[in-house]
Amino acid sequence: MMVLPFVGFAGSVAALIAGRRGLAIGLWLAALIGTLALYAVHATSTLNLAF
Amino acid sequence: MTLLHARTLNALGLLGCCAILLVAFGCQFALGELPCPLCLLQRAAFAASGVGFALNVRFGPRPSHDGIAILSAIAGAAVAARQVALHIVPGTGGYGATLFGLHFYTLALIAFVALIGAVGVLLLIADRVRPEPLVGRGAGTFGTACLVLFLGVVVANAVSTAAECGTGLCPDDPTRYEALDAWLGR
Repeated sequence: MMVLPFVGFAGSVAALIAGRRGLAIGLWLAALIGTLALYAVHATSTLNLAF
Repeated sequence: MTLLHARTLNALGLLGCCAILLVAFGCQFALGELPCPLCLLQRAAFAASGVGFALNVRFGPRPSHDGIAILSAIAGAAVAARQVALHIVPGTGGYGATLFGLHFYTLALIAFVALIGAVGVLLLIADRVRPEPLVGRGAGTFGTACLVLFLGVVVANAVSTAAECGTGLCPDDPTRYEALDAWLGR
């Protein structure tokens, strides 16, 4: 699942190289939303502190 | 400033994103340290910021492209700040190796803030960009080389992440390439 943002951004770069600006921005937005969703999952992970 | 100058500056910004991702990649293999989930998300945010620069290189500078770079850097800074906060309590230690005395997530936070500042400067001078008839719509040789390098770096990160985490969520404290080992039956 963590690979999905990278796939999305890679697709975005490939699309912009091919001249598809709208598709590139759409893929960027989808991948960024995926990144933030994964951040929400991992940001609340339990922190094991040892004092 | 001409359109060619603006594209060159954005290509340099794109090279900066590539350099950051390559240094992280190099340390991953040279030191054998696997990136944690938050580290991977920061890498993804650098890739996202690079998309903004890449759009400027390919299609010419536009405020919407700079907005993409800024929004991505804000997301990356939030992730990096969260990881700094996880280790800010004295005695909890840090995660991974250091570079110039700072952990990578601290350096990432500094880099994201610097990136936002750099895009701000680009926006300031973008008003003065004048069209140059000799420059076509393409990215030019240097720009195209930067775009291809950036694509290669992002794809390499995707492959590395797939080898480490597979199709599921990454372990909080990764010690081996779990998916790769599973695929190879090790």
